[in-house]
Amino acid sequence: MDVPETVATALDDRPVEGAVCLEAGAGVGNATAGLLAADADRVYAVTDDPDHARETRQRVGGDADRAAVIRADLRATPLPDDSVEVVTAHALCNVLDPAALSAVAAELTRVAAPGAHLVVDDYEPLPDAAAVRDLFAVENAASELAESRAALTFYPAAMLRRLFAGFGWAFDRRRTLLNPVPWTERHVEAHADAAREAAAELDAPLRKPLTAEIDRVADAVGSESAGEMYSLAFWLDG
Amino acid sequence: MATVPESGMETRTLGTTGHDSTITTFGAIALNWLEQEGANQMVEHVLDHGVNHFDVAPTYGDAELKLGPKLRQHREDIFLGCKTQERDYEGAKRKLHRSLDRLGVEKIDLYQVHGLEYEEELDEITADGGALEAFREARADGLIDHIGLTSHADPGLIIDAVDEIDDLETLMFPMNPVVVGQDDGEDGYEDVLDRATEADIGTLGIKAFADGPWPPTDELAESDRPFCNWYEPVHRPDEIRERFDFAASQGLTSVVNPGDPKLVSMVLDAARRYDGMDEATQRSLVEQHRGADSPVPQQLHH
Repeated sequence: MDVPETVATALDDRPVEGAVCLEAGAGVGNATAGLLAADADRVYAVTDDPDHARETRQRVGGDADRAAVIRADLRATPLPDDSVEVVTAHALCNVLDPAALSAVAAELTRVAAPGAHLVVDDYEPLPDAAAVRDLFAVENAASELAESRAALTFYPAAMLRRLFAGFGWAFDRRRTLLNPVPWTERHVEAHADAAREAAAELDAPLRKPLTAEIDRVADAVGSESAGEMYSLAFWLDG
Repeated sequence: MATVPESGMETRTLGTTGHDSTITTFGAIALNWLEQEGANQMVEHVLDHGVNHFDVAPTYGDAELKLGPKLRQHREDIFLGCKTQERDYEGAKRKLHRSLDRLGVEKIDLYQVHGLEYEEELDEITADGGALEAFREARADGLIDHIGLTSHADPGLIIDAVDEIDDLETLMFPMNPVVVGQDDGEDGYEDVLDRATEADIGTLGIKAFADGPWPPTDELAESDRPFCNWYEPVHRPDEIRERFDFAASQGLTSVVNPGDPKLVSMVLDAARRYDGMDEATQRSLVEQHRGADSPVPQQLHH
């Protein structure tokens, strides 16, 4: 199974072997693939996105006795208290606004067993000069107008560290996963598509200029390597 | 062991050969596209940068002939690798003597099995009457010092060769962010590097500067390609440096320049300035090149 180096690097000093694990916000199941490759006993991949659930299921379907894909809102994670030994939030927090982030952090803490490990991988806020900021700005603008919430928030590592510490997680280490972060044409196109999807929900007077701006910005960015992706590791002092 | 001599370019020990090779090896195929005077200048330019390991082959047009004059002038300063695509005893012996004649030297320091591709070839070269018999005889006669192998085929086959050839001292194989990012469950070139390092076999990286295949010939005719490489190379100084740093930081003994003479000077400069590459930057390059042919769908994150 194709495990990105980001995930492999974030997990390689964590005690995954034989553990019951939760990938919070499964995306396309990158961390689930990594946890399975690292010999997890069982992995729950939780996502509220039907496409992501389907993709993750397809990806790990061959490992059905170890992996379970659950479609659910992480703010009400359908797992019992103290039931998980390793939790990953790989590139999750940036798609949560502050209110959702706080609620999700509380839930991840509830399902984690005493002594559990938590890995939080995410992006530092981009430098001012990064062109790709313009793309995330129009993506957020479209999302704010359509759904009254930001699509993306890049939280500094120092901030997430303090947030999870507030929920009782002891900080273990910080690693740099990517520096710079390669926003390839495929990533840029994926974000442009997400922005267009949000814009499509708007009335024509807003939709048309916003869509044109999304096209223009995506074209202007092309691809760019900028920013930093980090990995924080914690354990639950219980 | 890595050291930086007065010449300014880092050297690393080439496995059990004991030779301290510079971190870039001059791929003398570049001489094939130059007239003799230009070839002489190129060799002087390469030596001025402190490069002490050269690699050539009889299949590189007339590169052996063009290397000859300056090689003979500076023979003591150059660790010379050559190779043969012959797989049987007679053919390998004939080609070795032909290379010695064309180069005009009495000894080749490193003689390599060139371009191993199939399992049957490995069987043939290692069998009685195979090429390795000629290699070993030549070593006993003092015509060569060390035995190596080059391949850009299946990494598993290269590892088999390591297991089957006890006196193999060097390997030459591809190393770049694309091959490092490939993860299909089979052995990769990283595994070749690990196996070679474990066995104290010197490692020479090729394809470090490959950007991808050329566009189809109906879009870009072969005669309109701006570089002579059979793949499209990276060619901006910052890209060349990035690719050099990546390959050298994987732990190879030495990185071979791309075959186009227009790119050689940039590689020499990158090698002189090499100062490692941190792991997050290496991963960034791998991630940048991953995905084009990944089975994983388009995604927002890394």
